[in-house]
Amino acid sequence: MTIPRFHSVTAKQAVATVAVVLVLSLAGSLLELFFDWHAMRDQIRAQMPQILDTVEGSAVEAAYQLNPGLAAKVVDGLLGYGIVVGGRLTDNFGDLLAERNRGQEAAAGPVADMLFGDISTYTRELAKIGGGGRTVVGKLDVRLSSRAIAGGFYGRALVNAALGLVRSLGIVALVVGIFYVMITRPLVRLAQVVAQVDPAHPGTHLVARLKGHGDDELGQLVDSLNALLESSQAGLDQRDQAQSELTALAQTLERRVAERTRELEAAGEEIRSLNNILKAENVRLGTELEVSRRIQQMVLPTRIELAGISGLDVAAYMEPANEVGGDYYDILHGEGGRVRIGIGDVTGHGLESGVVMLMTQSAVRTLVTSDEPDAVRTLDILNRTIFQNVQRMGCEKNLTLALLDYRPGPAEGAEGAAGHLRVSGQHESVIIVRRGGAVELVDTMDLGLPLGLVDDVGPFIAETTIALEAGDTVVLYTDGVTEAADNRHQLYGLERLCQVVADHWPADADAIKEAVVADVKRHIGDQPLYDDVTLIVLKQNVPTAQRMYLA
Amino acid sequence: MQIVVSGENYSVEWDSETRTAALAGILRLNGLEEYAPISRFLSEAVPAGSMTLDLRRLEFLNSSGIAMLSKFVIEIRNRKTVDLGMVGSKAVAWQGKSLPNLCKLMPTLDMQIV
Repeated sequence: MTIPRFHSVTAKQAVATVAVVLVLSLAGSLLELFFDWHAMRDQIRAQMPQILDTVEGSAVEAAYQLNPGLAAKVVDGLLGYGIVVGGRLTDNFGDLLAERNRGQEAAAGPVADMLFGDISTYTRELAKIGGGGRTVVGKLDVRLSSRAIAGGFYGRALVNAALGLVRSLGIVALVVGIFYVMITRPLVRLAQVVAQVDPAHPGTHLVARLKGHGDDELGQLVDSLNALLESSQAGLDQRDQAQSELTALAQTLERRVAERTRELEAAGEEIRSLNNILKAENVRLGTELEVSRRIQQMVLPTRIELAGISGLDVAAYMEPANEVGGDYYDILHGEGGRVRIGIGDVTGHGLESGVVMLMTQSAVRTLVTSDEPDAVRTLDILNRTIFQNVQRMGCEKNLTLALLDYRPGPAEGAEGAAGHLRVSGQHESVIIVRRGGAVELVDTMDLGLPLGLVDDVGPFIAETTIALEAGDTVVLYTDGVTEAADNRHQLYGLERLCQVVADHWPADADAIKEAVVADVKRHIGDQPLYDDVTLIVLKQNVPTAQRMYLA
Repeated sequence: MQIVVSGENYSVEWDSETRTAALAGILRLNGLEEYAPISRFLSEAVPAGSMTLDLRRLEFLNSSGIAMLSKFVIEIRNRKTVDLGMVGSKAVAWQGKSLPNLCKLMPTLDMQIV
């Protein structure tokens, strides 16, 4: 950046110095003039009486003798002084003895009059000292030229002013020069060096020490400036470093975000695929539930089969739990009014329980069809079949199973009964409600063991026989009935079941079944069914001959 | 007495001094898989010597639970190193009909129904 010449520090400094010096020298000159003026007046005041003293003797003689010639010589003598422009000598009567005026005296001008007008006239009284004392003989008037006096004064003043001006200019030149050399020039150099400093890299070129200013204020200024530049460079370096670190961080962050996004996408993909698997699993489970339910339902005896049974009034009910519990029952009627009934409960729920139930149904039916007469042998074969299959399935299921064999008429060696029921295998107690409502329970605990639990149940199998009279009711059930729970986990219970059956003893099998189912449902209320509910009601019919007799 | 297994409505406590496992509450778990923590604890609790199973406060045990107990009893019977005793309650319905089976499975089982 260039600065106009008249705006430079040197020019400003010169102008200021000139102004100050001129004012000061003007004041000095005026003061000098004043003292000059004073000195000049004092000189004239001192000089004039001496001049008059020198001519006084001759003037007194001329006035005393009334001698105009002498008077003229005196006055002419006075006019020999350059500053005297007029002289006049008169006697004591006022008569003029001699008068001289210097030629054409130009007007003095108001300034000269003001300066010296008051001292331009002198009068000396002329007296002759004799025997009779002092006698005034005349008067001498002298007139001085203000102009002549002022002219000398002016000349000296002019010289003084000129000298003052020269002195002032000299001082100005000296001051400006010294100032320029000592301060302005180093400053200008400094400014140039500073101007060359690269703002982006202030620390690369430091300002050189000024020659001869190592330890003065300029040296300190250079040092401070260099310190400032260095600290500024350090700040810039730190900023650059921070910026590069920040950039690196931002890049790392971007990379991480990208990685994380990829991970999230992968996770999302995994979640979606898991979700699909879950959906598929749900579908599979739903299908499995449905399959289990159908397996269980599809092998149950039909209504038509039940209706075809004579001699026994039979009603059956099964409601599977949401997750099928593996309840089993079957009612098969054979020759001569014989009815074979199986009822059981596979442990656990779901497809495996359903399969074990199906397996049991087939095995029981096979044995019934092959007409195996020995209960122990039947249950033993069933147990082995199921135990080995369950081992193969690796599902550790087992089941309670009771087999009932009904035949019309009394048992062998007994008399008079309308029918009889042989029971073997361990399951829930068999309820018998006699005609009139009396309740009997046949415990099956000692008739067997759960099947599928151990490989040999033979030693635990036993058989018992129940004689049935016309109107007697037999109720078979699974624990889904007696263990049906209400919302306070109060179980329905065997006692209540017996009571309901007893209360309805005159009704037919179907009505008794309905009464029990309704009561159980009342009990559980809005609770879900935890287990399959199975109920079989058998009622010994009145034999045809007896019915006719009763009628 | 420390609780070794517990669930929503049940707990299994172990008293190492008397070597007694006490089952309490209502056990209605689904299948032997869900009974695995309990059966594992029972079969590992005592390698040899006496052991008592206190079932008096077990109000309900479903058929899977009874199967679990049966298998435990068979395992102890086959192991022949543990003198197993059980305490049941007449007041609890399922125990009356199921505990005798356990005696059938293991004739040396010391069953007390009080």
